[in-house]
This record gives sequence, structure tokens and C-alpha cells, in this order.
Amino acid sequence: MSAIITAANLAKRYGKQTALDGASFNVEAGRIVGLIGPNGSGKTTTLKAILGLTPFEGELSVLGMDPRTQREALMNEVCFIADVAILPRWLKVRDAIDFVEGVHPRFDRAKAEKYIANTKLTPDMKVKAMSKGMVVQLHLALVMAIDAKLLVLDEPTLGLDILYRKQFYQNLLEDYFDENKTILITTHQIEEVEHILTDLMFIENGKISLAASMDEVGERFTEVMVEPQFMAAASALQPLSQRTVFGKAVMLFDGVHRQQLSNFGELRTPSVADLFVATMKGSYA
Amino acid sequence: MKTMKWLIKREMWENKGMLLWTPVAIAVAVAVLALASIFLGKSGNFEMNGHNIGTVTIEGAMRARIAETMAQAYVGAGMPVLMVLSLLVFFYCLNALHDERRDRSLLFWKSLPVSDFTTVMSKLLMAVVVAPLIAMGIAVVMGLVVMLAACVMLAMHGTNMFGAVLSQPDFYLTPLRLVGLLPVYVLWALPTVGWLLMVSSMARSKVFLWAVGTPVIGSLLLLWAEKVLNFGLDAGWIAAHITNRILLGVVPGSWLIFSKDTIALAHDEHKIALPDAIFNASWSTLGGASVWIGAAAGVAMIAIAVYMRRHREEA
Repeated sequence: MSAIITAANLAKRYGKQTALDGASFNVEAGRIVGLIGPNGSGKTTTLKAILGLTPFEGELSVLGMDPRTQREALMNEVCFIADVAILPRWLKVRDAIDFVEGVHPRFDRAKAEKYIANTKLTPDMKVKAMSKGMVVQLHLALVMAIDAKLLVLDEPTLGLDILYRKQFYQNLLEDYFDENKTILITTHQIEEVEHILTDLMFIENGKISLAASMDEVGERFTEVMVEPQFMAAASALQPLSQRTVFGKAVMLFDGVHRQQLSNFGELRTPSVADLFVATMKGSYA
Repeated sequence: MKTMKWLIKREMWENKGMLLWTPVAIAVAVAVLALASIFLGKSGNFEMNGHNIGTVTIEGAMRARIAETMAQAYVGAGMPVLMVLSLLVFFYCLNALHDERRDRSLLFWKSLPVSDFTTVMSKLLMAVVVAPLIAMGIAVVMGLVVMLAACVMLAMHGTNMFGAVLSQPDFYLTPLRLVGLLPVYVLWALPTVGWLLMVSSMARSKVFLWAVGTPVIGSLLLLWAEKVLNFGLDAGWIAAHITNRILLGVVPGSWLIFSKDTIALAHDEHKIALPDAIFNASWSTLGGASVWIGAAAGVAMIAIAVYMRRHREEA
């Protein structure tokens, strides 16, 4: 496996505001990576840098290319949905498919039509007549039909109902994803993506604060429902966070051996959301 | 090449209402007026000494002269369409690179493997080639309709002009001459189109104000500076010239006005037919330096527009 994205010391400043502050990370081929961070942590700037949409300092290679200078070649291999990208109001479903087929060498028309058949979209429909969710459905159908090596999704399911969101992630996993593709995804709806992710990256204040595969996360982080009599002993091991569920303390530990923790009470693997909340506690302080 | 075809189609989808249906509507309106005046006007009946004679016979030299004039001038009926074209091209260019930023579809277009250069070229082609060709086509069709109506009118009064008009070489040459003026139009329109595309790629909002206000205020400043500092430049000439060239270059035939000092229509002196005279005069404007300076400035501004689309970051 080779690295699809290598980033070293990415830095970006908007006036006095620091968006990226020396972020470094690697993304391997054939992974589904969740880039998770609070608002204003530099998520979108990172994605923009990868897509060649913003100037920045530092070293960045995407599929062996520099997004700053080789953007056009890169766009043959990379596909993205930016959270703010909106299809133009005058675009018809049929025209959208024709156009992308015309300009994109890796577009599979049959696939796009198959996805669209699962929606209420009709070929003559214009974007201005669509609900917000339908616009996203069209956009996703177009993007999913492109055989890109790297797919970047920035809040892809914003405005979609739960049925379609589930279906989308299922399609993404079953039809789209394979070992030759890499998906980089950011979303605030962590619960919905955590079971499809293979890797996790937390970004905080312009730095990558955690980068690990989901297996490593499972090994490293443990949640314990601590029995009342072990409270003092457990606290001594410096849990990342502590909350109370049904009158019992739930503590989250980083890098503490499971064997040792199992004495205190029932063990669980923490959800990404819990992990996120625990590690980002200081973010708004 | 294939990409360019789809980009042009894309522009057509977006601007069909403006670039096709507006000139069609204007052509239809003008044609209806013209037809109404032909068929309903006083000329419907010829009266002589109170008697309705109803028929008129035109023969000989007069007949040839009328046929020639009709064959040369029928495209002139389409002039309103060509005048509207300048407005359409003006506003098309002004919005070409601004709308996609305003409605935030820019990131969608940028997610496809189409370079910024190709995209801007498609918009340029649309403005200086496709839109004028559409307008010319409509103008010619409209001219034909009006001329046919006139011929039918004459035929109803006993003079059949169809054969005479159709046998005039000018009847076929006039549309070709019109298309033959397209390269001249492109070169003279470049400074205006370049300026508008550049403003369109730069302004956050109020593109029209930027496009028109900048040269106007710039001119006023220059005139004021000349008055106060008196640096010996013909500020009035510079201001008027630059403002005209970057705002009015999209008007068809503007070149005849911009270079009227050097180009005299040969029509009067040499008895050349008017369409020929216009055609020759138009091409001869390319002999001057002014058109090429303007075109070079236009190309430079288009290059800036490409750079802006590539590197400008949207908030």
C-alpha cells in the first residue's frame, strides 16, 4: 500500500486567524478516512489544500502531484463534493449527466442513471425545482458514477433525510468503494460514518491531534463502567474523561491495558463521538 | 475539443433565454411591425385621382434598381437585432465569471477536470463568436421575411419581383459579408470583452457598477488632474477613447465610429454599393494600430481573468 496523500507541516493563515498550524498526516490507498474536528479547526482548509483550491505553506503531495501546480491533472483522478458547492439553478438532470459524461473520462453514465432511478428525480427536472435533498442526491449520483482514485466528501449528506443517508453510505461501501479507491470524509454526523471508516483523524486548532486506524483506536481507547468501590483507583489512572450514566461513572482511558481496567468494571469500546468529545474538551476553552 | 463542445453547450443551457430568445423576440416584434406597415398601411391601396387603381407595374431600369436595393438592404431590417446583440454580449460577459461565484456552483465546475483556461475560453467564444452568429442568423431570417412580405405585397399589385431579387448576386452575398465581418467584430470587441470578463472575475458584487464606474471615475480623475497639474496630455481624448473602447467595443460597427477619422466610406465618392463599402471600410480598420493595441489589452485582461478564476479563493 502506498500513500495517496502525504502532508507535512501544512500552514495557512487568513489574516491573523490561523487555519492550519503545521498539520502533518498520511493517507494510504484503499482506506476510508474520517477527518473529524470542531468548527473552525481547519477541516475545510485541509480539504481545500488537497483539492488545490487554496494556497498554503508546507509540503503536500496528492497522488504524486502538487495540488498547487498540477490541479487540472489531479482533477482527472480526484472527485469532491464541497459542503458549499451547489449545483446551478438552471441545470437539468439530463444536461448534468450529459455534461459530466462529456468532460470526464472516468464517468459511467449507466451508474449515474441507476442511482438517479432510486430517487424522485426526472431527466427534465431543473435544480431550481428540486428540494435541497434532491439537489444533494443528484450531486451524489454524479460523483458516485466517477471512477476516481480519491473521493473527498465535505459534509456530503447535509440536508438529506435519514433513509437516504443510510442508503448513501451503504452504496458508498458496497458499489463504490474498493481497494483501489480512497475516501476522505468530514462530517458532524459521526455516528453515521463511524462503522464505515477504516481510519480516523482528529484535527484541532490546525493540527492533527489523532491519526489512527479504527483497529488501533479500539486497542488504545477503552471505556469502563467503573464500580463505585474502584472510583479512586480508576481516577488515579488519569482517565481522558468521566461522565455518569445511570448513576455509574463511565471513564475513558487512553493506552491503559484492558487487563488492568477489567478489574474496575464492565469494558466497552468507546464510540468515535465519545472519543471526540473527550479529546476535544479543551477546544472551545 | 470535445470538452469545448460541452462547455459551449453548457453556456447555451445557462444563457438560452438571453442569447437566443431575446433576439428572437425582438426580431419577431420588429417583423410584426414591419409586416403590419406593409399590409395594413396606406400603401395597401394605390389611389390616383380618387380612383383605386390597385395595380402598379414597375419595369425597366427602375425595376432593376429596386431589386438591387432590396437584395442589398434586406439584412438591414435585422439591424435592431444586431444592436441588441451588443447589450446581450455586454451583460453576458459581465455575469460570465460572476454568477458561478455568486450561486456557489463554482466548486462544482471546479470539481471536474476542466481547466480554468478552457472554461474562460468557452465564455469568450460564446461572447464573440456564438452569440454574434446567432444574432446574425436571426437578423438574416428576419430580413428575408420582411423582404418576402414586400415582394408579396408588390406581387399583389401586379409586379412580380421574386425572380429579379433572387437573381441578384448581392442577395446571396450580403449574409456572407455579414459573417465575413465577424473577425473584425472579434478584434474590436476584445478590449470590451476582456475588461468585462476581468471585472466579472474580480468583483465580489455590483459588477455593473465596477465595470462602468471605474472607467467613468477614472476619466473624471484624469480630467481633473489635467486641469490642476496641466501635464500636457490630451486627457479628454485619452479618457474618452479608453472609456469607449472598454465599454462600447461590443457594439457591431463600433469600429466605423472609432476610426472615422482615418476611414472614409467609399460609398459616396466611388459609387460603390453600400454593403460593399461598409465591408471594405471595416476590414481596412485593421490596418490601423488602434485595433491591435485594444486587442492586446483585451487578451491581457482575459489572461488576468483566467488567473483570477484559478487562484481566487472564495470565502
